[in-house]
Amino acid sequence: MVEKEEELTLLETLDHLLDRGVVIAGEATISIGDVDLLYLGLNVVLANMDAMKRSSGPGRK
Amino acid sequence: MIISNEDDRLRESLTFAEPAIPERISADPEVVENGLAKLVLSIIELVRRLLERQALRRMEGGNLSDAEIERLGSALMKLEEKMDEMKRVFGLSDDDLNLKLGPIRSLE
Amino acid sequence: MKSIVIGIHLKQTDVEPVADSMKVDDLFASVFSVDDDRPLGDRELLLEIAAIRARLLDTATFIAIRYGLAVRDENELAMKCAGQTKRWREILGAHRDEVEMTLKAAATAATPRPDRRDFKSGAAYLRALHEAANAVDIDSDFRRGVERTLLPITTRHRWLRDSASVELAMLVRRGDLESVRAAGESLRRDHATMPFLLSGPWPLEVFADDHQQ
Repeated sequence: MVEKEEELTLLETLDHLLDRGVVIAGEATISIGDVDLLYLGLNVVLANMDAMKRSSGPGRK
Repeated sequence: MIISNEDDRLRESLTFAEPAIPERISADPEVVENGLAKLVLSIIELVRRLLERQALRRMEGGNLSDAEIERLGSALMKLEEKMDEMKRVFGLSDDDLNLKLGPIRSLE
Repeated sequence: MKSIVIGIHLKQTDVEPVADSMKVDDLFASVFSVDDDRPLGDRELLLEIAAIRARLLDTATFIAIRYGLAVRDENELAMKCAGQTKRWREILGAHRDEVEMTLKAAATAATPRPDRRDFKSGAAYLRALHEAANAVDIDSDFRRGVERTLLPITTRHRWLRDSASVELAMLVRRGDLESVRAAGESLRRDHATMPFLLSGPWPLEVFADDHQQ
């Protein structure tokens, strides 16, 4: 039970770090027109998925 | 603080949970091209979902002008078109990629 | 060396000694320096930054900068933040005593996703997506429970729906965090079969991104 909660905390923490917050224009921003939406940094995306997969135990689909 | 009645259904709806990236990418040349295509498409799909999520959040916050809404909507449409094209070129289906295009779904 | 920007803070003492600071107009950014060739996607780095964020939040509320911004020096940061500091100062001042909490809940309604081929304009498509996402909702019983137990403790809140989840972003006074915990526990007890997740505290994220206050 503790393990699951740790995993959940990790997922949630990464979600808040990577998918929220103020976007400041930079060379690595995906923007459409003037609307800045995301930092691109594909390596961030991949690393995040890696973190997700590594933190998920068996039983996760 | 984390308080949760967590189960797999909730986990699925957390950001970044999907699409699946193949665990191993085969070095077999016949398979390589397809494997790479799947990887690339999976990443693009992830980016597409993130963009869509952001766009919807901004709309919810009332932060977009009409022109911005048009631009964002068009960009999302074009991204989807591009992905469909790529899937056709590589002969891949949504099931092959193990992804569904942003489900607005019932969690039963 | 490059400096990863973590947050925007009102005072230098809100940042130091927990993290290094850089001046931004009359505000202060918290930063973490790494080698130029260290990839931003490094998992350990992500976790380190997350830990620093938590310690910074213990000190004082700040505006979270989405992970991914790395600058060379104060000049570069100043250039990138130009024109924003006035709004940030207002937000930081207005919510000095508050933190964000997040409630995520599994959606119950099913809505077919709009097909882009049915739409002639990008705007129509995006509005349709928005509408479909707004049709997604959580169990009404649970929602009532949330409205009864959690919302009264918040100073502001906003429901955020997208295609896969329903979220409630809340602003809560620091002193009310224990009440939030108690409300969360009672939700868990009263709605044992309803998957949800209450997490926090977080720095200003959703409520810092507002372009209109």
